[in-house]
Amino acid sequence: MKKKTIEALNRKAKAIERLAEGEQKTAEALATRPMPQGCTTIFDTGWETNPRPTYPIGNCMASVRDFNGCAGDCWWPAQMPDGLTNHRDFDVACPNIARDWRNLKYD
Amino acid sequence: MNWQRLFLSALAAVLCSAAATPADAGDRFYYLGYEIIQVIDGDTDAIVADIPIKGATREVGLTADRKFLYVATDRHFVHKVDLGANRVVATIDVSNGGWNRLMFGFVLDPDGRTAYGAFMSRRTELGEAIVGKPVVAQFELETGKLLRSVEVPWGVAHLVSVKGGRTIYAFGQDLYKIDTTGSELKLVETMPMFDKGMNSLPFWDYAFDNGGVASMNYYTEKYMGLLLVDQQSGDIEDIVLKGEPAMAYSVVLAPDKKKAYAVMDDLTVIDLAKKTYLASVPIKEGTCYGVNVSSDGKKIYVGGGGSTLTVFDAQTLKPLKVLQMASDGMDLRRIGF
Repeated sequence: MKKKTIEALNRKAKAIERLAEGEQKTAEALATRPMPQGCTTIFDTGWETNPRPTYPIGNCMASVRDFNGCAGDCWWPAQMPDGLTNHRDFDVACPNIARDWRNLKYD
Repeated sequence: MNWQRLFLSALAAVLCSAAATPADAGDRFYYLGYEIIQVIDGDTDAIVADIPIKGATREVGLTADRKFLYVATDRHFVHKVDLGANRVVATIDVSNGGWNRLMFGFVLDPDGRTAYGAFMSRRTELGEAIVGKPVVAQFELETGKLLRSVEVPWGVAHLVSVKGGRTIYAFGQDLYKIDTTGSELKLVETMPMFDKGMNSLPFWDYAFDNGGVASMNYYTEKYMGLLLVDQQSGDIEDIVLKGEPAMAYSVVLAPDKKKAYAVMDDLTVIDLAKKTYLASVPIKEGTCYGVNVSSDGKKIYVGGGGSTLTVFDAQTLKPLKVLQMASDGMDLRRIGF
């Protein structure tokens, strides 16, 4: 049996332990679940993982080559202009991000 | 004179035919960029035409006569491109009828007048946001008007037309099969993928480039797999590849269908019979989204993501040429004339 790391010492703590008797785990850390790899169409950023332990840590290199593809389509609105709703024409000013990045304007 | 009239008629027919398709037979590669499509000649590997187009290119559909390419951009426009004249000749917007629609997944119907799209939709009513149910819908290519639709689960991102358009495969968390033969569209089967731990980004399938086989890669926790969809029969071959997974956005089949080429940060060669990886080389220019192969199988083209297109020797996997394109890109499609 696994050794307990915390022990109830007073009456109140022991009462809480009795309340929890027979309780099953209700949550599980995502890191312990088997996760598939790669990009995704699923609106769940935790789903996107990368098996490589070394450089490049991200899925794309250089990340600038992924910029236009991610704007709108790949759902990283904090990092990219939202090409589907708020910045629909940003690619007109920046069709080539490596060349045109100075034209990027965020609100 | 009758012979003169005959000669003039024949000449007119020849000229019309020349205007309808590119002058030289062979491969043309269409680099799908931002506000532009660039045409690359497969013999010289040089850019031979620029086609201005509104929006960020995404999906395409080729008409049966290979004269027109329908190009979806900005997830709501559909442009009709004349491949002979290399220009956009018509544009529709699927956001209409008061709905703001986003289309992830687009295929032509064989009737030549309609297409199918996977739509998310929204509109405002008295200041309130109304979100429509996700649907796969058939719409008119001339007007963008939706004709009929069927509700599908959230997350559909790609469509493949099979069995002469009688069934549409909708790829999302799972694969949904839609029967189009009745008066209404009907979701008739769900093939589980999510619960099997399969993860895919099926934006690239190269169905017409592969001669009627859509090729899409997927990942589980342990391996990379390929889904090969035969458009004629609707059969799906699931190829589980042995060995450490190669990270790839897209996969195209070699003309002999014995090999496949996958691309992301590396160009990887796959042996389809042995279900394993044969070789892999890094792409010096960086990550690419799209990959294609010449119709004789001798050259491999990778590009998109960033604004380069690299031509590789298929035998040695050595780069032959790097083209600097006008914009970043989404894909690279091959049409043989």
